[in-house]
Amino acid sequence: MNNLVCKDIVKKYGKKEVLNNVNLTLEKGKIYGLIGRNGAGKTTLLSIISAQNPATSGTVTLDDQQVWENQKTLDKICFSRELNPVMGNGAAGLKIKEYLKIAAMYFPNWDNEMAINLVKEFELNVKDRIVKLSKGMMSMVTIIVAMASKAEYTFLDEPVSGLDVVMREYFYKLLLAEYTESGRTFVISTHIIEEAADVFEEVIIISDGKILLKENTQELISKAFRVSGKAEDVDAVTLGLRLHQVEITGRGKGVTVILEEGQKIRGGFDVSIQPLNLQNVFLAFCGKGEKG
Amino acid sequence: MNEMLTQEKSIYLQISEMLENDILRNIILEEERAPSINELVKLYTINPATATKGINILVEQGILYKKRGIGMFVVKGAKGKIMEKRKEEFYDNYIKKLLVEAARLGIGQDELLTMIQKNK
Repeated sequence: MNNLVCKDIVKKYGKKEVLNNVNLTLEKGKIYGLIGRNGAGKTTLLSIISAQNPATSGTVTLDDQQVWENQKTLDKICFSRELNPVMGNGAAGLKIKEYLKIAAMYFPNWDNEMAINLVKEFELNVKDRIVKLSKGMMSMVTIIVAMASKAEYTFLDEPVSGLDVVMREYFYKLLLAEYTESGRTFVISTHIIEEAADVFEEVIIISDGKILLKENTQELISKAFRVSGKAEDVDAVTLGLRLHQVEITGRGKGVTVILEEGQKIRGGFDVSIQPLNLQNVFLAFCGKGEKG
Repeated sequence: MNEMLTQEKSIYLQISEMLENDILRNIILEEERAPSINELVKLYTINPATATKGINILVEQGILYKKRGIGMFVVKGAKGKIMEKRKEEFYDNYIKKLLVEAARLGIGQDELLTMIQKNK
């Protein structure tokens, strides 16, 4: 089994528990979307499964081999972290070409041709220092490292943050082209949920340090609906279902339902039933007023 | 007014249709106050000008009227008016499409009628 498996991962920073017993299996050859609100634990999770950060307890294994301090498995994993101008590790002061050179030493399957090509595509100047780059340009550098690493398991933390819509589109195309060609596994965290939804085979929703769900994106969307109409009619058709995002205005009512196995919305009443997109599903689970 | 906005058509058209639906479903009754522009803005996170445009469509069609200083109200007889209008659109919006798909599937008129009657 070529899987990356997290078992009972707990991460505490002092008294604060950031990850709370995370169990997760990432199957080889899929593109996963990792979504969650600010501070949900996305970055911490990615840094732990790539062994850049020790877990307080729990294990991460790749093909049953421990990932932590195991060069053989680490060679197969790339976590291209978000860059920022005040990073403590000194990367901020480096020129782009120096940063890429270090990355090249780090990843045994580094594809230098691809890196050079992407620098050109993104119109970056390799002599610029990281600290001087705009937010979008820093994202480009992290994307280049992730792509050219050719690592079997590649994690990207908000790769599109700061990118304009043209570059975001370019990134999704690049990602899909690389994925189709190589069959690498990607985990991508993002807040721009809707435009990435079609790219994700599976979506992982993380909330308050817990995995809320991990499911095939299209299947998840296909069972999520917004039901609205006269309050008593809405209540009648959704009887027994778990309701999210309940909204009442006068005699009207709107609710979001995510149908579980065997459940359905009853018929026989004049209500509107609208399909949801991934962003709406996310809001149903993690929106304000939802407990998750 | 609890439906979701979609990307399929202009927001102001969706706003006016939702209000019509609410009137048809007796969620908002005739002579009752309709949601204000501000309420619509809050509910849907839309630009006030867009909300106003949606409301104005219904004012022009004699479905809503303004009570100065109080807000928008549903005209007496509005429900009947909406039903009349929707009936006129029914052929274009539903029957035409139904016939096209039926023809595509080779469903003849008799078969179609049987199907409709079966559902009663």
